[in-house]
Amino acid sequence: MNNPVEVPVQRISLIGVNEDQLKKVSETMQLGLTVDEMLKLREYFKGLNRNPTDIELHAIAQAWSEHCCYKSSKFYLKKYFSSLEKHDAILAMEDDAGVVSFDEEYAYVVKMESHNHPSAIEPYGGAATGVGGIIRDVLCMGAQPVALLDSLYLGEVEKTVWNDNALHPRFIFTNVVAGIRDYGNRVGIPNIAGSVDFDPSFNHSPLVNAGCVGIAKKSKIVRSFVSKVGDVLVLAGGRTGRDGIHGVNFASAELTEKSETLRSAVQLGNPIIKEPLIHAILEANDLNLIDGMKDLGGGGLSSSLGEMCFSGGTSAVVDLEKVLLKDSNMKPWEIWVSESQERMLLAVSPENLKAIGDIFEKWDIEYSSIGTVTVGRDLIIRFKGEEIFNLELSFVTGGPMYCRPYELPAQNPSEYILVKDDFNLKEFLLDFLHDKENCSRFNITRQYDHTVRGETFIRPQCGIPNFETHSDATLIHPVPESPKGLAITSGSRKEMVEIDPLNGTTATMIEAYLNILVTGAVPNSVVDCVNLGNPESKEIMGQMVSIFSAISDFCKKMELPVVAGNISLYNQFDGKNIKPVPSIMMAGIIDDASRAITVNFKEEGNLIYVIGSESSNLGGSHFLKYLGKQGRAIPSFDVEELSRIAKAYLSAAKSGFILSAHDVSSGGLIQTLMEMSFGSNIGFDVDLSNLSGARYIEKLFSEGGQRIVVEVGTSDKRGFEDLMRGVAFRQIGRTIKERISISDQEMLLLDGKVDEFRERWVTGLDGII
Amino acid sequence: MEGTNCEYEAYQSFKRIGVLPRYVHVNELKRDKLSLEDFSVLFIPGGFSAGDYIRAGVIFAQRLASSSLPDLIKFSDAGKPIIGVCNGFQVLCELGFLPGYDFTRRFALSLNDSNRYECRYTYVKMHSKNTLLGEIDVGESYLVPVAHSEGKIVVDRQHKTLERLEEESQIVMKYTDPFGNEAGYPWNPNGSEGNIAALSNPFGNVLGLMPHPERLYELPLDSDRRLIKDPVLGRPFFESLRKYVVSKSF
Repeated sequence: MNNPVEVPVQRISLIGVNEDQLKKVSETMQLGLTVDEMLKLREYFKGLNRNPTDIELHAIAQAWSEHCCYKSSKFYLKKYFSSLEKHDAILAMEDDAGVVSFDEEYAYVVKMESHNHPSAIEPYGGAATGVGGIIRDVLCMGAQPVALLDSLYLGEVEKTVWNDNALHPRFIFTNVVAGIRDYGNRVGIPNIAGSVDFDPSFNHSPLVNAGCVGIAKKSKIVRSFVSKVGDVLVLAGGRTGRDGIHGVNFASAELTEKSETLRSAVQLGNPIIKEPLIHAILEANDLNLIDGMKDLGGGGLSSSLGEMCFSGGTSAVVDLEKVLLKDSNMKPWEIWVSESQERMLLAVSPENLKAIGDIFEKWDIEYSSIGTVTVGRDLIIRFKGEEIFNLELSFVTGGPMYCRPYELPAQNPSEYILVKDDFNLKEFLLDFLHDKENCSRFNITRQYDHTVRGETFIRPQCGIPNFETHSDATLIHPVPESPKGLAITSGSRKEMVEIDPLNGTTATMIEAYLNILVTGAVPNSVVDCVNLGNPESKEIMGQMVSIFSAISDFCKKMELPVVAGNISLYNQFDGKNIKPVPSIMMAGIIDDASRAITVNFKEEGNLIYVIGSESSNLGGSHFLKYLGKQGRAIPSFDVEELSRIAKAYLSAAKSGFILSAHDVSSGGLIQTLMEMSFGSNIGFDVDLSNLSGARYIEKLFSEGGQRIVVEVGTSDKRGFEDLMRGVAFRQIGRTIKERISISDQEMLLLDGKVDEFRERWVTGLDGII
Repeated sequence: MEGTNCEYEAYQSFKRIGVLPRYVHVNELKRDKLSLEDFSVLFIPGGFSAGDYIRAGVIFAQRLASSSLPDLIKFSDAGKPIIGVCNGFQVLCELGFLPGYDFTRRFALSLNDSNRYECRYTYVKMHSKNTLLGEIDVGESYLVPVAHSEGKIVVDRQHKTLERLEEESQIVMKYTDPFGNEAGYPWNPNGSEGNIAALSNPFGNVLGLMPHPERLYELPLDSDRRLIKDPVLGRPFFESLRKYVVSKSF
């Protein structure tokens, strides 16, 4: 490997170099490798009796980053998730996205991923490419993307004084939403679900968790590996540039004030290259022209090509000068690790090259053949004929694995929180509903195109046009010939997780499950997107272990597969870790989509029931948060009861007894009832007396348990109650015209008009976004 | 072309009325792979052609014009329907097919008053009879989705265009509330002059509209039908279109 002058590759001295110098090499080349990892490399190259080239070293650094090889989490991922059964899943945690059976002919494809670090320093571009990346993950399975969703966690967006030398949380907020909007709307995939939450710990470390759902014929699913020797590797879509170099390395490290200078590590998205790329890829796949496919995300070609061959038991010879470039002066190592967007890597049989080329030309998509799949273990890269890279793929792609020590958070005993209730409930609610934590998200959701493709059966908002309320889960109808619908939700009970990562995660799982269930659909897959701080701390590892074990336990009990996931670590700023957030995305299937149930009340004079055991613990509630208090323990959650409720609820839904339904979650029973009334201007007259003997504050604002509020017609009372035998349920009131009235123990607590509360709820984000 | 993205639901809507739709890429016209003459209806769907980074629809219009302007004129002169929805409306405006006064620009589709993308449901009412839309009752308000950021119709005052549009019955639909009243925001989601939602050429066969009838053929949920009694624009829109084409035997 003698480098003639024209090949811009450097050889880096590792052999015989001391630890200090190794550390320096890692720093100056921005490799993000620890001294231990550099020592391991020194030994490895000593064994090969040569020093590495720069491209080899960069490739290893990419592959060994936390982002690519999950070195801190894979031990525990394996421990908690490898024993889960697949149930309806076809591919679970195997390829770039999860694949789950939809009906006999079709499968749906799901994935959710974080794009936190890029969004922290370049919110617009970071969020946009988060959407772009997740679409590619679904597309590379051969699926038509049909829905987007995103769970966002932001800081003190309302702050008027901001002295920190960092981006204002409101700037981050509006730009993250704009990035998602401008990318998602342009690419023509409806953005239909998600969540938005706030906490000061996200001031500098916002979390942007983007999800995508696709649909494909089962027979057309493309795997993320290539096992066919002789296949040509085709790189299609956007050109490769210097944008997004070292993205994965900085996504695997702590952010500081200086991180803003790393903007070039954020990729640039281009939805107008992506949109035709989707058409072209699907057209080619329909003709069975693609043997294997992977998108280029973090780590670029280095990561995608390496993993694609490694998983298929093959290797490759690559001619790097064939990659189409934005800037012809790029060095080989830059080409190899660039994270430029809108690129897909395809394995194609030589005889199909012409056909696939015709399709790309029709759609004006640039492409080039960059290498060939070979037998053997060594990946070889040439640049203008000169060999510049020759390493065993298993060494590069395998990466280290750490079994980091952890410390579980202390379990606090349940506690009784006494809050003064001497305030005026109505005045309190008018402010509470207006607060950014509890108000409507319409200022965001209406900026996202959620009706494109014409398949959105339950939109993010439901009810009378322009007087809508929030939906629990959204529902799409992705296969025109089938009556089935796919319900989708994502979010986190982060206030609960913060106090108790284990049970708070169970609460998150229960809420996701209920969101799907209330529509009348049966949940059948889980995707987790876990966001944590620095894993080198035992406390953070303890959060990780608690969260994993709660997800795993829940899925075992409820017979659900975890089909895809993402762990984002090092979410910290100047040494301060974020609060732990497991975003849970769930999807479920309803046999007849036209019979799905929505949140808004439908008619006056119907009965209102609460299904599920009562909870009176205020721990982890938005109520306490609003008052600036925090409990030390959260309410109890009961997965066994959830299972019984699910059976009873589904049979009542099938019988047509449930006219509207909404789960009890953030904001408690009162928020649930209010939101049901906001979608149709139908109010409620509710008496809390027979719920429990607790104080009305607790009955109204506790967020514990697994509860659903339902509307049932008076003529269905008998039928409904018969089906509910075996689960706790209580009738608490009736729907009435335009008014809201709540009483407890013969005392009138609240009386008002739906409109006056709705007005406050709808305008909560005005002036912020 | 790249960035067009409402073709799927348009395709599905045509399929529902039993006609045989076909996607046509502007490159296929450019490379003479097919001829517009073989089609009876041209539907230019919405989206963000070429990203709409310059002015909505302008690049799409330029590419269409350079590949097939004479064919488009022939198509329109034959009385065949040319429909542009959302970005397609912007394209027809840029092409000069609307309002159809000797290819002069007489109105623009500018940024919404709210200065942001608006995705919501609203209502429209027929304002003037249109030859393509015989099945739609004048006087009734129809539910329809809107989703755009550049949909505000601003009319050229110098040439008294608004008056002329009215005179020649070219204002096809107006935004209303559920009760048929012209009610301003959010029912008029963009601030269009005179609440105009749809315009045609003087003959009525070239039609541009900002709302998306192709996205909502009918209310999908039984429970929504219980709550919302108003008719939905999608079905009568496409059924009218079929009737028109069948009656003219294009």
